[in-house]
Amino acid sequence: MKSRTFLNSFGLKALVVVVLALLLQPLAYLFIRAGEKSTSEILTLLTRQKTLEVFLTTLLLLVIVVAINVVLGTAMAAGLHYVKIPYPRLFLVASILPLAIPSYVFTYTWKALFPSMQGLWAGAFILALSTMPYMILTVLIAFQKIDLGIIEVGRSLGLSKVALFFRVILPQVRRSISAGALLSGLYVLSDFGAVSLLNVETLTVSISNLFKSSYDRGAASVIGILLFLAAAIFIAFETTLKGRDFETRGNEGFQNSIRRIGSPAHSLITVGVLGSYLICAVLIPFYVLISRFLANPTAVEVTDLITAAAATISVAALGALMAFALSLPLAFLISQGKSGFATTSERLILISHALPGVVVGLALVSFGSRLGSLYQSIYLLAFAYAVLFLAKSVASTSSALALVSPQLKEVAATLGKSRSKIATDVVFPIALPSMSLGVLLVFLTAMKELPATLMLRPTGMDTLATQIWSAASISRFNEAAPYALILVLIAAIPTFILTLPGTAKGTSASEKKVSYL
Amino acid sequence: MKRSALVAAVGAATLVVASLVWVSTQSDGGGQAVEELTIYSGRSEEFIAPFLAQWEQESGITLNVRYGDSAELAAQILEEGENSPADLFLSQDAGSLGAVASADLFTQIPDSVATEIDPSFIAGNRSWVGVTGRARVFAYNPDAVTVLPQSITDLTKDIYRGKIGIAPSNASFQAFVTALINEKGEAVAQKWLSDIKANDAKIYLKNSAIVEAIDQGEIDLGLVNHYYIWEVATALGRDIKVKNGYFASGDIGNLINVSGAGVLATSQKQNAAYDLINFLTSETTQKLFVEQTHEYSLIPGLTPPQGLPDFKSLGSPRVDLGDLANTQRTQDLLIKVGLL
Repeated sequence: MKSRTFLNSFGLKALVVVVLALLLQPLAYLFIRAGEKSTSEILTLLTRQKTLEVFLTTLLLLVIVVAINVVLGTAMAAGLHYVKIPYPRLFLVASILPLAIPSYVFTYTWKALFPSMQGLWAGAFILALSTMPYMILTVLIAFQKIDLGIIEVGRSLGLSKVALFFRVILPQVRRSISAGALLSGLYVLSDFGAVSLLNVETLTVSISNLFKSSYDRGAASVIGILLFLAAAIFIAFETTLKGRDFETRGNEGFQNSIRRIGSPAHSLITVGVLGSYLICAVLIPFYVLISRFLANPTAVEVTDLITAAAATISVAALGALMAFALSLPLAFLISQGKSGFATTSERLILISHALPGVVVGLALVSFGSRLGSLYQSIYLLAFAYAVLFLAKSVASTSSALALVSPQLKEVAATLGKSRSKIATDVVFPIALPSMSLGVLLVFLTAMKELPATLMLRPTGMDTLATQIWSAASISRFNEAAPYALILVLIAAIPTFILTLPGTAKGTSASEKKVSYL
Repeated sequence: MKRSALVAAVGAATLVVASLVWVSTQSDGGGQAVEELTIYSGRSEEFIAPFLAQWEQESGITLNVRYGDSAELAAQILEEGENSPADLFLSQDAGSLGAVASADLFTQIPDSVATEIDPSFIAGNRSWVGVTGRARVFAYNPDAVTVLPQSITDLTKDIYRGKIGIAPSNASFQAFVTALINEKGEAVAQKWLSDIKANDAKIYLKNSAIVEAIDQGEIDLGLVNHYYIWEVATALGRDIKVKNGYFASGDIGNLINVSGAGVLATSQKQNAAYDLINFLTSETTQKLFVEQTHEYSLIPGLTPPQGLPDFKSLGSPRVDLGDLANTQRTQDLLIKVGLL
């Protein structure tokens, strides 16, 4: 294999550096633009009361949403995995389905029912609805990966179900809860749709206002750097909190013998909690969209719908594949054992995830307009998606890699396998399902992306998101409804794939690979 | 395994679709003899597309239109600089045109273009021309507001506390603040802004959101452009309980702003762009604007939109629209008082 010689540690590091250089362009752009302001201007901007208010609002929103997610998301994942409920597949698919709904569509549909909805708590509510599936999915996969042997040990020691859950199971999935918190927290930091519609002035809204209102890219960039710092602090905090990795990962072959709790009380509570979430996050948006659509079913031409859908799918898919390709060098590097370099790179990518679409969009306009025909082509737009959402790929990949037990790697090493051989033969087969999960997540998110799409799409090309935006921005919700419905339906397909049986379990294929050793 | 195969299949299929879509857009784009013009339009598709379609038919030239927010498109043109693919920029307001003009990215539009338009709505150096006029008004709920404000300073009084909506990030509000600074000085403008903020004015992102908020009873009145009461009623498909009100004659609150067009200095198709501007500023098209979008025509003597006072009796202050381009100072002031 050629790759064995090429993909040595040095080559990998060089590749990671190239990826980082590409990724950090928006950040470089922020510093260049902010540098155009004088020091005193920057200080005035940073120390005024408004900036402090906006910063605190953002932090508060972040904390509330993450807290809701950690508690309810983990509980729902546990219910889905450990409790006997009717139609478990249906509940599973439905609880991931909100991933397909952009935050601005959530907001429009809820505001259609409750027009006076606005403010911090409304923002927290909508954002918790939108980000919950990240938590459910991440934690659910971790539950599926837990070594059942440990649970059996706990059980034989006489632990009650509750004690078993809190003392044995939860510590096992702590890192995954933490990863889910990270994904949803970064989503909150970069969200624009929900908060702007609900009049919650977060850092992202502030940046957009500054950009929009005065072409003052300098002031906006200063606030952009502040947002970047907020993300850095959040990520550092998350890292400290999650602590050392002590999870044990075992043989996934025992999965099929999982015993679900069958007591009616447990089932009732689980169905109750999941049901309330699904009413808020699935039924209400669908009800509003469908009734708006039925109010005027001919508001939109079918050909326009199909064109926009085709454009959306192709660009989002291209972006997802690009993000996957870009995440590979770092994934390889991490799989060869954590180094300071790998950890730093991983964090840099995470931090850049908090940069809002408007910043990434303008940065790529600035750099991309020099690229001739590549500018305003679907390739540059796809690249923007890759830059915006690479963290999702990397997060799923690295948590996927964490599922591979170190003992397995040690065994392979004692059998004389080279490091890259271990990576390709042991680590990747086990991690692949979770990695493709990352690709699907990027695809889903890219389909919903708006600000960068507006700036970078080929002139005249409409995606579903831009059509929803242009209709909704002049309050024509009836016309936005069919586009939103199509978007949600298309996004439901990868969502469905995400929840297929065997999703991130050790598949028989990976077991086979392991037995070859 | 099954799942990864499925993902791979879906991935491969979408890539094929992607390249097909790309190829098809490419063959539409270059090569052929059809001449194309690229427009960045801050005017929403809904209202301008019918006019553009008619010009396409008359001229045989295909238009590539990029729709967006005026200020965002202006920012985009500023970032693109000399590499901008745009030929023509249609803007909702004079401020965005002024920002592009100050960066010297517009060409000087010849005297033979837009001859019918009142010259006071054309930039002094002819870097852009006005296309339609819009008046700043206060929109209000006639059931809730019993004492109508006579001047913008009335809005800082206690009787309007918590009942006013403004959109400080919106270009039309900023043009008004710029005019206020130009007329009364920065200190007065700053005091007014702080006072209105202290009077618990509610902040909205857009004019249309203000009108909707009045209709829903969230607030009683708000500072907007005159045509939003029709736009919102059309969008909602019903009558709304919102009316336009005017300040006393000569008050800066009655400012007139324009939507306009500028031609990029880097465009290779300037003549076609001029032709489109001539079409938009012709008497026939202007009358259609008045009828369909409820905007004022900029041709002297044309009738105002139905139900609106004519341009002269609005009592708008005399303001040089070229001066509205200095948005930096306005921006700094809005940041200083914490409205941005």
